[in-house]
This record gives sequence, structure tokens and C-alpha cells, in this order.
Amino acid sequence: MLLEVSNLAVSFRMEGRIVEAVRGVSFSLDRGEILALVGESGSGKTVTALSILQLLPYPRAFHPSGSIRLLGREMVGADEATLRAIRGNRVGMVFQEPMTSLNPLHTVEQQVSEVLILHRRMSRQQARERVVELLRLVGIDDAERRLASYPHQLSGGQRQRVMIAMALANEPDLLIADEPTTALDVTVQAQILRLIRDLQRRLGMAVLLITHDLGIVRKMADRVCVMTQGEIVEQGPVSRMFEAPQHPYTRHLLAAEPRGRPPAVRAEAPVVMEARDLKVHFPIQRGLLRRTVGWIRAVDGVSLAVREGETVGVVGESGSGKTTLGLALLRLLPSDGAIRFAGTDIQGWSWKQMRPLRRQMQIVFQDPYGSLSPRLTVGEIVEEGLLVHRLVRSPEERRERVARILEEVGLDPEMMDRYPHEFSGGQRQRISIARAMVLEPRFVVLDEPTSALDVSVQAQIVELLRSLQERHRLAYLFISHDLRVVRALAHQVIVMKEGRVVEQGPAAEIFERPQAAYTRALLAAALDLEVAEPEAVSG
Amino acid sequence: MRSMARRIPYRFLGVRLRLTPLGIRRLENFRANRRGYWSLVIFLWLFGISLFAEFLANDRPICIRYDGRFYFPVFFTYPETTFGGDFPTEADYRDPFVRAAIEEKGWILWPPIPYRYDTVIRDLPGPAPSPPSWQNPLGTDDQARDVLARVIYGFRISVLFGLVLTLASSIIGIAAGAIQGYAGGWVDLLFQRFIEIWSGLPVLYLLIILASIFTPSFWLLLTIMLLFSWMSLVGVVRAEFLRVRNFEFVRAARALGVSNLVIMFRHILPNAMVSALTFLPFILNGSITTLTSLDFLGFGLPPGSPSLGELLAQGKNNLHAPWLGITGFVVLATILSLLVFVGEAVRDAMDPRKTFR
Repeated sequence: MLLEVSNLAVSFRMEGRIVEAVRGVSFSLDRGEILALVGESGSGKTVTALSILQLLPYPRAFHPSGSIRLLGREMVGADEATLRAIRGNRVGMVFQEPMTSLNPLHTVEQQVSEVLILHRRMSRQQARERVVELLRLVGIDDAERRLASYPHQLSGGQRQRVMIAMALANEPDLLIADEPTTALDVTVQAQILRLIRDLQRRLGMAVLLITHDLGIVRKMADRVCVMTQGEIVEQGPVSRMFEAPQHPYTRHLLAAEPRGRPPAVRAEAPVVMEARDLKVHFPIQRGLLRRTVGWIRAVDGVSLAVREGETVGVVGESGSGKTTLGLALLRLLPSDGAIRFAGTDIQGWSWKQMRPLRRQMQIVFQDPYGSLSPRLTVGEIVEEGLLVHRLVRSPEERRERVARILEEVGLDPEMMDRYPHEFSGGQRQRISIARAMVLEPRFVVLDEPTSALDVSVQAQIVELLRSLQERHRLAYLFISHDLRVVRALAHQVIVMKEGRVVEQGPAAEIFERPQAAYTRALLAAALDLEVAEPEAVSG
Repeated sequence: MRSMARRIPYRFLGVRLRLTPLGIRRLENFRANRRGYWSLVIFLWLFGISLFAEFLANDRPICIRYDGRFYFPVFFTYPETTFGGDFPTEADYRDPFVRAAIEEKGWILWPPIPYRYDTVIRDLPGPAPSPPSWQNPLGTDDQARDVLARVIYGFRISVLFGLVLTLASSIIGIAAGAIQGYAGGWVDLLFQRFIEIWSGLPVLYLLIILASIFTPSFWLLLTIMLLFSWMSLVGVVRAEFLRVRNFEFVRAARALGVSNLVIMFRHILPNAMVSALTFLPFILNGSITTLTSLDFLGFGLPPGSPSLGELLAQGKNNLHAPWLGITGFVVLATILSLLVFVGEAVRDAMDPRKTFR
């Protein structure tokens, strides 16, 4: 057995308290096997993985019990020299965020050759050759030229490939991949997953894959451990987990994938928001006099119409101009082209002119942590719109309105005197939605409102958005890269790439009969985690 | 805007406050730093006592009972004729004649130290500066004035000067930093260059030149020093505004139609206040030190005013009278240490890692 974890517990000392992060975790992993550790945020899956290499902040973290036997050696309490000989040598690790896990001041060559020089005592020249070989192995084209590149000159997918090259440099027996594709676009995600699988087969190593995405588990893993609240509640072969889940939590997790279809739109519903040939171009300025040398076409000629009670889904990968489009429609960014709100052309209106309209058009942002003012209570955050538009004068009445809307989004009104940091991600997103909804808007831009949330919470938020739409006949512009969520919510879909519309039409048609090659690739990557027609995707 | 945040009653330093839970956690963190907490208690006591310096050290009695009536020379000026003297000028209560005249028909209640900071003691046993004695616990200076009385008044004026200067420069500094950080672009660029030039001016020379043109007074000195001290907070506040203005909650507020001013004050400023507040005790310290050094050089407060810097200068000029220098040193070291300790506790209280989670 390559890795054997038995009865492992991890606790943290926090200001005199002891927090138990992981309790009684046991699993084993053999050569050539892929084991997935699935769980939602805070379930202890990353802590478990980090304790294998003893990378936790000791002595603040400690193991009250348990043992980790790796290659026949005990890791818990092993001395630094033993650990160093294993880290990066027998065990490689890939982290979630490729930007921050690469040193921004080191070139690709320096980054990757470090482990070679350290563990294999290779000369610079030998190391260089091996680095080129590794870069080719992980599918970086033009490997020699890339040696001198810095991380910021690479795309997200390339950075993750470099990370994998580093992890594989010494042909490890075990690769620990901690959410290796979470920060990447769907098409890139599919490529990276395929790369990991290919390499695993070719090199015969074991992979411990940590993820929250059941789709990835189904695609990649041989066996799976489901973790929640620091414990493994179910483990076994992947097929059994998907077909006959034993534990209620596993069943809950499986049931949580967003499903259902949006409610039908009335035939005579009026158009709320309309844009014709909308363009947002940012100037590229150079030199002392800041001459404009070119334009970044963030949004280039998009036309759309959103009717009352209708959801228009905007899908595309990062940098495709989805968010810019949403902000431009709300006139939060300067743009060209006609924008008609409820029949009136609002393009070119001043900030003052726009102010009364603001209550009818709202936005919900992606990051539930960044979008709430940390120093205001939930009540103060939600009531702000009412204050700005002088809708409700007396504080008592305002409190009541806030309480009512909090209840509507599924929060306890008693919570209005608490601060945002006391809430979970899903609850915070509900607060953001309440802030937008308290003004009773007609048009709401939802900018990736579910991307930062756990799957089970995602489904709840989708449900909430759908019921709010039905009750108040809201018009949504739903921006997302997650096609499963879009399928559950959108009536119309716009597929964007590099600021342009690739394909546009009724959701059912786009999902069933995609016309453009790019759309097909996107759908394959997002729904089946497959790399389709590589020429359609650049990543 | 009337906020509807929940506030909880809380007692801190004997004051009843109504605070948000966050505020309470901060004050508890502050209190957890025992050294800083007790420094604040001691400092507040010393400052509180010094505010009543007139009742503590004065050459006018607090209260006089004369001929069946009460007089309060601390508050009012009485001519000598009131107490049966000869002159219509203000009574000199230290004059043995006047004293005898009053005590004949009543009594006098003196403050514990019967000298003001500018009282010249004429009946010293030896030449000034005289060493500590029962009459003058810290001795007298070279102009025969009681050192303890001067220290009490000097402490008060130093701290008051420091507080006013800190408050004024914080208001200007925070406003300037806020505008720069929020506006960004050209405003920020030009303002930063202006600050660089302005902070390059030789402050001390300017003060010396200005002191030779105008007669320095408390407020004039304050204004001149304010011209240069407001820049200390600009950097911190500006950086915080630059960081926070791109956060999504600011964008969300803009989408709600909130005006720029409200965004600045309600959404961004509270975030910037943490770093600004952490700086305050140190700015206060700096202000006191600057005033003291100007006084030491003789360009500070007008001659005759009680000042710690002048005491230090006297100590330097009269090395044979070590009580002058030692007193000056001990008093200054105490103020500055107390404030640094308080500053450390404030920093602890504002530490987000201690506050959240």
C-alpha cells in the first residue's frame, strides 16, 4: 500500500480554544489509483491532504491521534530531513490557485528546475533538458522559448501546466491535486483533467484528487471518499457512490446539482431592457502623452432584449466580456450603442439623471465576501437603497421592510443586526440578493451569483432566484460560466467570446443543437468535462 | 443617515457606552493589553488632574473668607481695597501685608502648591535655582519659579497642544487622503507631487524665520506646525481608499445610486479608520516632541510660558542644578512611554486577526 491514513485527527489552537478540523479519517491509496476526496468548503479535505506532507502550520495545528504511513514510513511527527526528502520528490503537489502558487519573480525554468537541482543534484544543463522534456510532457508548446517566461506571461491553463510539471519533475509515486481546476475556465479545466489522467496512466502514479465537483469525481476517480464536517461519511468505488449512495449526506450532495427549468414567460410580456449594437472599448494608452495606440474591445456589438419575467443567460469564459456587458447595461461603465430601459433610451444620461432609475435596475455580484461592506450590519446594508431613494422615511418602517425582504430570501430577520463576517457564503449571497430586491427592481443583473458557492448552496440560490422571478416578474441578465446553472435558469442564452456574440438564441435550442463550434466545445467541456474539437478552443 | 444597528450597553473606564458588538470586541482586545490599558488610565488621570492646574498650583487662593463674605480669587479679580488695602490694583495675596489683613478678619484657603508657573518666589533661602525643599518639592528654576508648578502647567499645555494638533492634522490628512484615493488619476498624481514638494520644505528653518517675524503664540505655532503635520496620515488613508474603492461593495453601492460622498464616508472611511486610529497615539507623541524641541531651542511658545522644552533647556544651562534636567527628562519620558503603550494597545484592538474569527 502506497499511502495508508488511519484514524487521523487534526486540531487547531485558536486563541485558547481548540478547533477540531478533522476527526477519525481513514483511507488508503494504492499505486496507479485515483482517489477523490469530495466535500464542500470547510469539510476538512484540504487539511487532510496537507497533513500527508505535514504542511500544516505546526505547532498551531496538531494531531491528537492517527497515523499516516507513506511508502512504509510514518509521516506524523517525522523529522524535517525525512519530510524534505519526500516533499517534491516522492510526492508532488498541485494547488488550486496557479497565480499565487508560482513565484512571480522566477522564470518557468527556475521554478521547475529547483526541485531537480534540490533532490537530484542535477547540473543546470541537465536540469534544463529535463525541464524542456517536462514542459513538453504537460503539453506546453514551444517549450524552449517558454523557459524564460515569467508566470504573468502565461495564461491560467499554462500556469497550471507548469505547476503540474513541477509536481511531476521527480516522477513521484503520489500526486496530490488540491482543486487543480477550480480557478480555470471550463474548456481549460477539461484539458487539465485529461492531462492529469493521461500522465497518471503513463507514469503509473497514484493521484489524490481533492475537489468539490462531483462531475470531476465521476470523470476521473476510481474510488471516492465523501467528507463533511471533518469526517469521512462514505467511501467506496465511484460507480457505487453514484448509483447507490449510502449516507444521507452523499445523497444530499448528489441531489444538489441545479436542476429544473425556468418558468415560462407570458407571451405579451413587455421588453424591459434592450441593447442595440452595444460596444465597450477601453483605450490602450502609451508613452508620456498617453496617446491612444489601440483599443481593447471588451464588448463588441452585442444586441439583446430582456422581457419581463425572462432570464437571458450570458455564458463565456473569463475575459469574454460578460461582466463588462452587465455593467454597461446598468450604465456603470461608459459605452456606445443604444440602451433602452422600459422603452426610454438611457444611453448618455448623466449620473444624476440615472439616479431615480437605479432603483429599478439592480446587480448581484459574484463574490459574496467582497460585495458586502464589512463594517455595516446586514440591516444597514439592505436598507441603504431605501435611504438613498428616500422610499421609506421612518426607521421603524424601514426595519420592517428589511425584515420582510430578509424573510423572503430565506434568512432569519433576527440576523439584521449582525455583521457580514458572521455569515456563510450562501447566506451572504442571500443578503446581496436582499439588498437588490428590497428596491423592487424590474431588471437585475446577476453576475456569477453562484460561482463562489458550494454545490448544495448553489441549488438553493438558483431555486430562490427562480421563485423571486416568478413572484415579481423580474427580468434577469444571468452571467455565468457554469452552464448547468444557466440551463436551470435561462430562457435565452448568449454565448460570448472575446467580446463578441458567438451564438444567441432560445436556451433549449442552444443546449440541444449548438451551431457554433465554440459553443459545442464549451458544452462538451462544461457538461461532460470533455475536450472537443481542440481547434475551436484556444487556452 | 440614522442607522438602525443594534447597540449594546457597555462600560469602559467607568463610562457607559452603547456600542456595536464589533466595538465591544475591540475594547475588550484593548483591555487585554494590560500595559496599554493601565497606561491609558494613568494618562487620563494625569491629564484630568492637570486640567485643574489652577486649583492645584496657583498664587491666588481658592477661597477667602473675609468680613463675613466669601471671595473666590481663582475665578475673580479683586482690588486690594476689598481687603482693606491701599491700592485699587489687584490684590497680591502673597504680600504679607495683604495676607495679614485678610487673616485678621477671616481665613484663606490656598491650593496645595501656592505658586503659579510664573510666580517669582522672592523669599528663597538661597540663590535661584534652589534645590528641592519642603516649600518647593522639585526645587526652583533659574528665575526662582517653582518647578513642580511649571511641570503641571507644562504637561497640560504640551498635551493640549498635541491633542489639538493631532485632531486638526488628522481631519485634514484623512480628508486629503480620502479625496486622493477615491478620485485617483490626475488628482492623485498632482496631489502626491505637491505633497512630495511640500514635505521637502525645511520645517525647522521656516519655523525659525516665522518666529522672528511674528511673536509666537499657542495658536500661531499650532497653525504653522499644522501646515506640515497634516501629511502624516495622507499616505495610509490614500492607500486604503485606493484599495477599497475597487471592491464590489463599493460597486454595489454605486449601482444602488449612492452618492460619492456617502460612499466615501459610509463605506470606505470606516475601513481606512482602523489604520488611521492606530497611528493617532504616535502622531500625538510626535506633536508633543516637536513642541518640546522647539521650546528647547527657544523658538516655541512665548517666553515665560510653562513648557517642558524650556525646562530641559534650563537643565542644560544649569548643570549644577540637576533637579531641573532630571525632572524634565522624567516627565517627558513618562508622557511619551505612556502614549506609546496606549498606541500599542490601540493597534491590538484594531487588529483584524484578533477581531474576526
